[in-house]
Amino acid sequence: MNFTLRIWRQKNAEAKGGMVSYSVSGVSADSSFFEMLDILNQQLVDEGAEPVCFDHDCREGICGTCSLYINGRPHGPVKGVTTCQLHMRSFADGETISIEPWRAKAFPIVRDLIVDRSALDRINQAGGYVSVNSGGVPDANSIPVRKADSDAAFDAAACIGCGACVAACANAAAMLFVGAKVSHLALLPQGKVEARERVLKMVECMDDLGFGGCSNTYACEAECPKGISVANIAMMNREFLSSAIRKEKSSPFTGGF
Amino acid sequence: MRFERMKPFDIIIVGGGGGGLYAAMEAMKTNPSLKIAVLSKVYPNRSHTSAAQGGANAALANKAKDDSVEMHIFDTIKGSDYLADQDAVDILCSEAPKIIRELDNMGTPWSRLDDKTIAQRPFGGAGRPRCCYCADKTGHTILQTLYEQCLKKGVVFFNEYFALNLSVSGSRMKGLIAMDMKTGKIEGLSARTVIFATGGYAKMYWNRSSNAAGNSGDGQAIAYRAGIPLKDMEFVQFHPTGLRKSGLLVTEGARGEGGYLVNSLGERFMARYAPEKMELGPRDLVSRSVETEILEGRGFESPAGKYMHLDLTHLGADLIKSRLPQIREMSMYFEGVDPIEEPIPIRPTAHYSMGGIDTDNFGRTVMEGVYAAGECACVSVHGANRLGGNSLLDILVFGRIAGHAAAEEARNFEPGNISEEEVRESAEEIRNYMKPAGHFERYGALREELGQTLANNVGIYREASLLQKGMSDIEELRERFKKVRVFDTSDVFNTNLLQVLELRNMLDLSETVAAGAYAREESRGSHTRTDFPNRDDEKWHKHTLAALEGGKLALGEKPVTMGRYELQERTY
Repeated sequence: MNFTLRIWRQKNAEAKGGMVSYSVSGVSADSSFFEMLDILNQQLVDEGAEPVCFDHDCREGICGTCSLYINGRPHGPVKGVTTCQLHMRSFADGETISIEPWRAKAFPIVRDLIVDRSALDRINQAGGYVSVNSGGVPDANSIPVRKADSDAAFDAAACIGCGACVAACANAAAMLFVGAKVSHLALLPQGKVEARERVLKMVECMDDLGFGGCSNTYACEAECPKGISVANIAMMNREFLSSAIRKEKSSPFTGGF
Repeated sequence: MRFERMKPFDIIIVGGGGGGLYAAMEAMKTNPSLKIAVLSKVYPNRSHTSAAQGGANAALANKAKDDSVEMHIFDTIKGSDYLADQDAVDILCSEAPKIIRELDNMGTPWSRLDDKTIAQRPFGGAGRPRCCYCADKTGHTILQTLYEQCLKKGVVFFNEYFALNLSVSGSRMKGLIAMDMKTGKIEGLSARTVIFATGGYAKMYWNRSSNAAGNSGDGQAIAYRAGIPLKDMEFVQFHPTGLRKSGLLVTEGARGEGGYLVNSLGERFMARYAPEKMELGPRDLVSRSVETEILEGRGFESPAGKYMHLDLTHLGADLIKSRLPQIREMSMYFEGVDPIEEPIPIRPTAHYSMGGIDTDNFGRTVMEGVYAAGECACVSVHGANRLGGNSLLDILVFGRIAGHAAAEEARNFEPGNISEEEVRESAEEIRNYMKPAGHFERYGALREELGQTLANNVGIYREASLLQKGMSDIEELRERFKKVRVFDTSDVFNTNLLQVLELRNMLDLSETVAAGAYAREESRGSHTRTDFPNRDDEKWHKHTLAALEGGKLALGEKPVTMGRYELQERTY
């Protein structure tokens, strides 16, 4: 198969970037998207040009390293896959494919297609953890958890933190990412203890870092490679509202009751 | 951050996977006043621990009420073909239940049984179902939990830093020289202690490997170049079920849930090799069985090579969707096969490094202040063959122990001073790869050829003539590597340079793998010599050591620590 690629090239964080066209030919329909980019990079090296830089690692859809905004969609046109799981059979022969980095104020570009996603870590650092009982190794039996709850918590914990939800969102909101972590921990008894405090801290941090608000387009759920549901956003909002109201009631500065 | 870096670190942990993060968390708990950093070439939550699907063994006795720590110990020693050190296995299995519960307390969403206890599934080589899991994303969820804890506890992270070399003067380690991948700047980070937790080296088998691109054995190669011996490097585990084209792993859980291995005659051929355990025999045995079936002409043919079937169709759509969702996803995307309807095409794939940096039971190496834990270390708990579900356990248990030991001992060591000149030399060495004069070899070709020769000559079945060929190929590749060229000369995120540096590490280590395999004239665990088909306890019941002496590889040996269990023939 043959393709025309329009790729965002940018030397470093400060440099001005732009789209550059390349053509690749003789690509097998069974090659993965990254194997196709490897072919392009080999070509560029042969011509003495700088290869295109992109993030990848496990190439099996679990580590969350890969990104790419392909033809205007995070992780490309196929639902429920990461870019590394995308194959060229999903494109038409001769197609022009545009490849851009994630676009969000909170994800600055490092080089070419690589963005800095450490903002997501900072949100987790603000409260996305369990701190009760982690002082030592307890010898007692494990905490009993209903199967339905552990299954629901696991579904939320399937988030790989790739940031596709942010890239898909018109407001570059990180609601789905934060919602998944809030739900995962709030659904488990050991995480419930500090659930109220957690959601307040994480949402505050998310806002500070420049992520936008939610306008309920559900684009995040549609583009999430791991099928994380927007129900997690609803749960986060519920947790947030009830926590915020309680905080207000108990705060000496706002008067309250 | 600038100011922070000028002061020496008490502990620098190289690698941010499960082992490194557990070490960091435990060290922080042991002494919160210590300055602890994790340095990782990827964001820690991207580490290869995330790809561990199956789970971690612990004798919780939730599923089989008569399970015990003692049975776990025996299964592990027998599985290792009696090459594991029995005191280390005691620690591994005794600590296991505590580790599972600690993770539970921190929010890891373990799958549950109807009685609300943690679910357990059967795994190869284990006498009872004792593998605790989070569906088929166990490593991923554990890694998230540990990363959250480290972020919360204030561990300093050097993310997207590539470790280059240890700085050593005499017998004393002074710190680490590393490159900031985002700027290309080489930095000297002085430290009282360094813990290597960089994972395995099986990516040297390239597309006949289940490992991520980054599993190039960086920690082992750095330790080896600094004169620290590596142990049992010839033991590379081949997992029986890699996807045909890419080598990506189909978890053993697929067989644990009841999947069949079937040849082109439609036979469940494991009946010939392990009549009792069938598909749930230990990995070395099942891999050899698949390879034998292929060699004897009972495989399926395809342009991507010969393969076998892993048949899950009889398990039904509900079970596959609920318990093996990731496997279904992978075989659909990478092989175009839906396991609900058709068998998955598989063949053995290089999967795990039993060998690694030689350590004692506390993760200490022979060099003061240098520790290692997890897959990059060799304590040894896996001996000649690792059991499924024991690798996540190994990184958690020994990551924790090494973190604790380093935290207790760090203040006994004086931090060293890394000179400007040392840093400059490292930078110089790297810039050399970019010089056009005399540099024309491409890393892609070298990497491909290394994988080929290893798979063909240092693979599942080995013999003297093949190993000699492998060794001479590796020597030739190492010569050609001296002329390798980095074409991208930019400082910012130079992926071309990083791949060349990883290849250097893989080449250094491949020599120790092939040399160890050539020296060990017996068959034990994953190491099968067709010219020496039997286990030879008299000559070879010992560990091999590989160390760099005067720029050359020198092989040595070390006795195996025995305990309650005497040597026995290993049958399943």
